[in-house]
Amino acid sequence: MYISLQGISKQYASVWAIDRVNMAIAKQEFVSLLGPSGSGKTTLLRVIAGLEKPTEGRVLIDGQDVTELPPHKRGVAMVFQEFLLFPHRTVRENLAFPLRMMKMPKAEMDERIDWALGILSLQGLDGRYPNQLSGGQQQRVALGRGLVGRPKVLLLDEPLANLDRELRQEMEVEIRRYQMKLGIPFIYVTHNQEEALSMSDRIAVVNKGHVEDFAERTTLYDKPKTAFIAQFVGRSNKFEGKVTAADGGSCTIDAGGLSLTASGNGGLKPGDAAFAFVKNEKVALAPEGFVGEDNSLPCTVRDVILRGAYAEYLLETSDGLGLVASRPRSGEGPSIGHAVVAHWASGDVDLYPVKPDLGLRR
Amino acid sequence: MAKGNIARKLQKPALIGTMLICYLFLYLPILHIGLGSVSKNYSFPYPPQLTWATFEKLAENTLYQTALGNSLLIGVLTALLSTLLACLATMGLLRHAGRHTVKFLILFIAPLFVAEVLLGLSSLIFNGLFLQLGGNLFSAILANTVHCFSYALLIIATQLYRYDWRLDDAAMVFGATPLRTFFEVTLPLIWPGLFGAFIVCFIMAFNNLEISFYLLGATPTLPSVAWGALRYGIKPELYALASGVNVVVFLVLGVMFVLMRTGAVRFGHKPERERSAI
Ligand SMILES: Nc1ncnc2c1ncn2[C@@H]1O[C@H](COP(=O)(O)OP(=O)(O)OP(=O)(O)O)[C@@H](O)[C@H]1O
Ligand SMILES: [Mg+2]
Repeated sequence: MYISLQGISKQYASVWAIDRVNMAIAKQEFVSLLGPSGSGKTTLLRVIAGLEKPTEGRVLIDGQDVTELPPHKRGVAMVFQEFLLFPHRTVRENLAFPLRMMKMPKAEMDERIDWALGILSLQGLDGRYPNQLSGGQQQRVALGRGLVGRPKVLLLDEPLANLDRELRQEMEVEIRRYQMKLGIPFIYVTHNQEEALSMSDRIAVVNKGHVEDFAERTTLYDKPKTAFIAQFVGRSNKFEGKVTAADGGSCTIDAGGLSLTASGNGGLKPGDAAFAFVKNEKVALAPEGFVGEDNSLPCTVRDVILRGAYAEYLLETSDGLGLVASRPRSGEGPSIGHAVVAHWASGDVDLYPVKPDLGLRR
Repeated sequence: MAKGNIARKLQKPALIGTMLICYLFLYLPILHIGLGSVSKNYSFPYPPQLTWATFEKLAENTLYQTALGNSLLIGVLTALLSTLLACLATMGLLRHAGRHTVKFLILFIAPLFVAEVLLGLSSLIFNGLFLQLGGNLFSAILANTVHCFSYALLIIATQLYRYDWRLDDAAMVFGATPLRTFFEVTLPLIWPGLFGAFIVCFIMAFNNLEISFYLLGATPTLPSVAWGALRYGIKPELYALASGVNVVVFLVLGVMFVLMRTGAVRFGHKPERERSAI
């Protein structure tokens, strides 16, 4: 593997910001680190960049152990969460910085900079100072500064956080394109699951300093390995209850009076506390009186939220249990106040044992 | 209503008057010496009778010239040394001291509270006993640096406190060695602080009497010569020297003002001004 993180931990005073992280990343790969705020994503990037020395573990880049190497000898580049453009340098000078450090000849340097200005639509702004640019423009300069030097790895720390939605989606496509063109691994930090899902080959879900799962994006979405991933990736209905019956093929859970059937038992035994997740888009709606699939639940439509191509139906059972169903908007859906039956296949129920939350390693 | 009007009308003249009084308070003594230096009767130049006599005397007086040279040397070298040391100390303090910052800071600025006379005396004894340095210029520069260092540290710390060290991280990730990072990124952004510290240290060391007095022995400096002149009668050379130094200071200020106005020199980075320039 091109990059390999072996048992990386980082301790700050009393907390472990990252805890025994193992990852192996191939040369052509686009990897996202997805996790909530404070989960240790930035710290992990800083360890890879050499700005932070891991308390434990080793970092290997291109077969070389770089754990002891200072950042300027690692040949990596980073797009910082706060941009960190040099305020006393113009856009062009900012872009030239990595190239000057490489002692690149002037002509080649100009060519590279013009290429970066071009792909990032920054032409005409090259004489400006960072504080004369909008947030989005600064972000693009930061991205350009990461790309011009053709580094061994590009580390990106939420580079699109400050852009509006339209520009963000445009940039997602562009970033993915540069990654494929340059053929170097990108490690992309985000707390936005859509961003991670749209660009990455593989996604590592980071939670409280450890990697919950590092898997292909489809696997991660369709077969979440832990309750945390099921909750964090995609939008799901969450149920908490007790297992009433379990055999090899299926499992029944009693969640506050509601009986759920799931295929597979997730290693659970009767009497165990369990979480069950059903993705919003797996919940289908049928007219009142419908019986059939493994799980069906009579509900009333409380509200309908329009999301463009699909609509979210906020449902409520007679017991006051809330439920969300996302359906494509084809034809007339049920409207507010209508009685419907929400139903889903037992195969669409993801089951996890309820584990005590251990929090950060101390 | 009428009362309010009068108050408002008086406001502006009152402001201007206060300003004038302040300026007179500040500059009358200097003007008096200046006038004296170019007058026949330098001790009471009213009405003035212009002559360059005092300056001619100064040009002949080697004691005053040596004193000026020595003071300049002490000023410049002390300022350089204290600024350099204070810059290194501040960087260490802000980057690496972590939660011990305040403790270290207090130890660094404690010399401020040692009386100058005491500092001069103890430096004389220490330098003589342990460094085998008799009373000479070098010894005086060291002792002045001890004193100026703390001021320089305070001035530089206020500037560096606002500095975002992550800019250094960015430079290093993009291939700059720590030294290169300092000269390419840190220094261009913090030099106004260093410059301010240099100027303050220079002025303090240039004018210092108490510390230098103990360490210089017979080597003259401007303050010591001026002090001596008090006892042996104020000579016309002193007038010329005082106004000469003042003229140089005002010239330097004037040049800096022009340079800043034309934009040839910028004091640090002024985001607001640049933003409004587009
Ligand atoms: N220099 C530091 N000293 C002490 N604790 C730190 C330091 N840097 C980070 N931490 C702690 O480490 C944990 C992880 O921080 P990190 O910045 O890596 O989170 P993150 O996942 O990047 O969050 P965000 O999405 O908000 O940027 C946090 O609890 C943070 O408080
Ligand atoms: Mg972060």
